[in-house]
Amino acid sequence: MFVLSGYEYLLVFLILCSLLPVLALGASALLAPKRRGSLRRSTYESGMEPFGQAWIQFNIRYYMFALVFVIFDVETVFLYPWAVAFHRLGLLAFVEALIFIAILVVGLVYAWRKGALEWS
Amino acid sequence: MTLGEGVQLVTFVVLSAMAIGFALGVVWAPSIVYSGFLLGGVFLSMAGLYLLLNADFVAAAQVLIYVGAVNVLILFAIMLVNRRYTFAPLKLGWLRNGVTAVVCLGLFALLTAMALNTPWQLEPIQPTSSVLVMGGHFFREYLLPFELASVLLLMALIGAIVLARREFVIPQAGEGDLSLLERARPQLESESERQAELVSTR
Repeated sequence: MFVLSGYEYLLVFLILCSLLPVLALGASALLAPKRRGSLRRSTYESGMEPFGQAWIQFNIRYYMFALVFVIFDVETVFLYPWAVAFHRLGLLAFVEALIFIAILVVGLVYAWRKGALEWS
Repeated sequence: MTLGEGVQLVTFVVLSAMAIGFALGVVWAPSIVYSGFLLGGVFLSMAGLYLLLNADFVAAAQVLIYVGAVNVLILFAIMLVNRRYTFAPLKLGWLRNGVTAVVCLGLFALLTAMALNTPWQLEPIQPTSSVLVMGGHFFREYLLPFELASVLLLMALIGAIVLARREFVIPQAGEGDLSLLERARPQLESESERQAELVSTR
């Protein structure tokens, strides 16, 4: 039994979202002129010529950013119920959430000082 | 206004089919990058199923953490490893596949029996969103665990940075120390031959 209200909009939104690329690509396939040429097969028609293979080793720096991002993503999940229930929680909860954020800012400062957020 | 019974059933069937299809795609995809992206599809379908079970906070956490963070981490880990090997077929591969199939089928049978035999208690459903209830509990009786969670996250962040920066030397294990499952699979052809082949096919 589904009791949460407002999700029928989400459903309609999802259906429209999944229809949009289908319609766009379908219209493009129907309307676009069918010309075959060597230029048509290039990746960017009037852009830079890509070189090398697509499968290359990515920089370890990306992984560091992803690690830091995961931590702050989990923090967001913890703060989400606080933000939704904010109007019925009061000042004390606000102070407690500030403490929660302050402890995590320590981690951010550590990451910053250690150079985890820099490109070298 | 909430979703009707028919809409719920159709949504459930579509989401289940999506989850199973994406999961099969994860296993069967020719490239591990495709598997990584399809795994995100599995996680998204699971979030939809959670939403159908009135668990809106779990659904939001699923999208935020699994789709947003864990899947991104998996994809970055895949992209850090750039090599594509072709592996020699394993010895006794059919035996391994058979054992895996038996274990998986046994687990499936066990879970099915459990789902059928459990007397599911349908509690009277609370009309409010679970996020509001959870927010109230977080700042009243579960305040200390909530604040401790930030300390735990801080430890995880610092630990991840220390590990990723390699500020200490990890003792390298010799090849003989590895057990059967940890040993790398033998490659069919060496890297230099493969590069030469790539160049010659261009």
